[in-house]
Amino acid sequence: MDARVTGGMDLNWPEPGVCDAVPYGVFNEREVYDREMERIYQGPTWNFLGLAVEVPNAGDYKSTFIGDIPVVMTRDDDGNIYAWENRCAHRGALVIRDSCGSSDGSHTCVYHQWSFNNKGDLIGVPFRRGLGGNGGMPDDFDMKENPVRKIRTEDYKGAVFGTFDWDMEDVDSYLGGDSVVNGHVKRIFNRPVKVLGHARQYIDSNWKFYAENTKDPYHASLLHLFHMTFGLYRSSQTGGVRLSNDWNSVLFSESGTDDEKAMEEIDDAHLRTFQSDYSLEDMSLLAGRAGEWNDNTTLVILSIMPSLVIQQIQNTLAVRQILPKSESEFELVWTFFGYEDDDEELTNIRLKQINLIGPAGMISMEDGESSVICQQAISRSRNARNVLQMGGRTPEDQDHLVTESTIRGFWKKYRELMAY
Amino acid sequence: MSDQVRSDTRLSSVSRDVRDQIADLQADYIAALDSQDMKGWLASFDENNSSYFCRSKENEDEGLEVGYMFDDCHERICDRVKFVDEIWAGTFEEYQTRHFLQPTRCKSLGEDLYSAQTNFTVMYTDDAGITKVLASGCYDDEIVVNGVARLRSRKAVLDTNVVPRYMVYPI
Ligand code: FES
Ligand SMILES: [Fe+2]
Repeated sequence: MDARVTGGMDLNWPEPGVCDAVPYGVFNEREVYDREMERIYQGPTWNFLGLAVEVPNAGDYKSTFIGDIPVVMTRDDDGNIYAWENRCAHRGALVIRDSCGSSDGSHTCVYHQWSFNNKGDLIGVPFRRGLGGNGGMPDDFDMKENPVRKIRTEDYKGAVFGTFDWDMEDVDSYLGGDSVVNGHVKRIFNRPVKVLGHARQYIDSNWKFYAENTKDPYHASLLHLFHMTFGLYRSSQTGGVRLSNDWNSVLFSESGTDDEKAMEEIDDAHLRTFQSDYSLEDMSLLAGRAGEWNDNTTLVILSIMPSLVIQQIQNTLAVRQILPKSESEFELVWTFFGYEDDDEELTNIRLKQINLIGPAGMISMEDGESSVICQQAISRSRNARNVLQMGGRTPEDQDHLVTESTIRGFWKKYRELMAY
Repeated sequence: MSDQVRSDTRLSSVSRDVRDQIADLQADYIAALDSQDMKGWLASFDENNSSYFCRSKENEDEGLEVGYMFDDCHERICDRVKFVDEIWAGTFEEYQTRHFLQPTRCKSLGEDLYSAQTNFTVMYTDDAGITKVLASGCYDDEIVVNGVARLRSRKAVLDTNVVPRYMVYPI
């Protein structure tokens, strides 16, 4: 193993098995980041690559990343989706240079025009036999032995995952088989989807500050005043958290179910508070359409580590892909979607409600900022630890929203994968 | 672009008076945003009927309507003012913007309605005093001009497909 990837071993970790605190060094050391790229992103994890509908036809491709490694997913004539590292087998150039497109099934590197098929096999080398008797590759050069680096893929209900680990369990088991977490994945991907658009934002923070944020029901009603003001989400509502494989989690809630006693306690707490008498000029923003999934759930945040968030907030649906760029930067890519069978009115409801989410979203704008202000604060705090004790000290399923249980689950699995 | 189309959409294809009114509108609009005056921003829109969209070129080119901001009626433009001024107040880190505009195209759509395209660059300065580019792109507008110019619809299309951090204020 790469010598650099031993970083972080000397950090001020709590006793093995304790996951209610972590040292801040994990958020800003290059050696830790390098180790993550090795042990997490190229290790036994499934990484989200995109939606299957983003490559609908044979020859279609989309370029993206696993961790900070450029990769490509393509659909072949056989109908399956393949993925490979976007690094030419010759001398390392990017094979695909645009974010998505269609091809005739061969992908040619611009540098010396080596070409590869959808599966990543080398199918063409210019001047392989030389020119006029000069040059050419050695006689024993074997095309079959020079593919691009291949990635195992699985199209799970329309969400495409990739892994560098060919011995991985399948995606269904990774998500927890019959778990509640996987049940929520199946609920959202219960019929064919269609892409409504994308948004991308570049955030100056370690990707794990954001991972924590997506597992944190505690902050949602305190940081996001829009939630609180309009009752979309309050800590007093019916809801809970569930884990699978420790670091995959779901948090869910039902609006309009506020426990009265809890509401009074919120009032008494004198928080940077909300005024409950706000009304909007255009109430249709929040009206939406109830019962789309034949249940009362209005908010679902699935955090599928290391790279994916799947969300339903009211009638909005989105996947967010977390793409680390360095120990202190990541890009967040939002893909908004609806269902193929949406009527026009429902599509409009979704477009309107997308105002709530994304980089300028009424209830997600603050998440980018919260990650940044954490990163700014920890520059010299490698051995100081955070506090993750809301709702207990262990990772566990809970039937309320006043907890950091799922964050503890994240760190438990993280320490295991990183061998800390 | 053919010569014919170019001459039809040149700034000089509309009267100087109309151009002046549109220039005043654009100047008022950016002066309001650059002083975090959301009510001044609102005053740039036609109160009878108007819309504001802010979306990336990536979505625009694919014909996808999804936007960072999607205010398809005047009521929601009003609501956006309330979100920024009242609901979000105190929760986000303030940033100073500077908008720089360059009109490129203008054309009469009949009666008192005009279409206009205007390039923009928006710089932002954070609390630490560091200035960076927030976005670069083009406004695609429909403007009512009758003694005073107001936006009927504004579509801010951002070439910047990856925005830094987050956006609180409209562009
Ligand atoms: S680097 Fe790709 S063909 Fe040479
Ligand atoms: Fe949040």
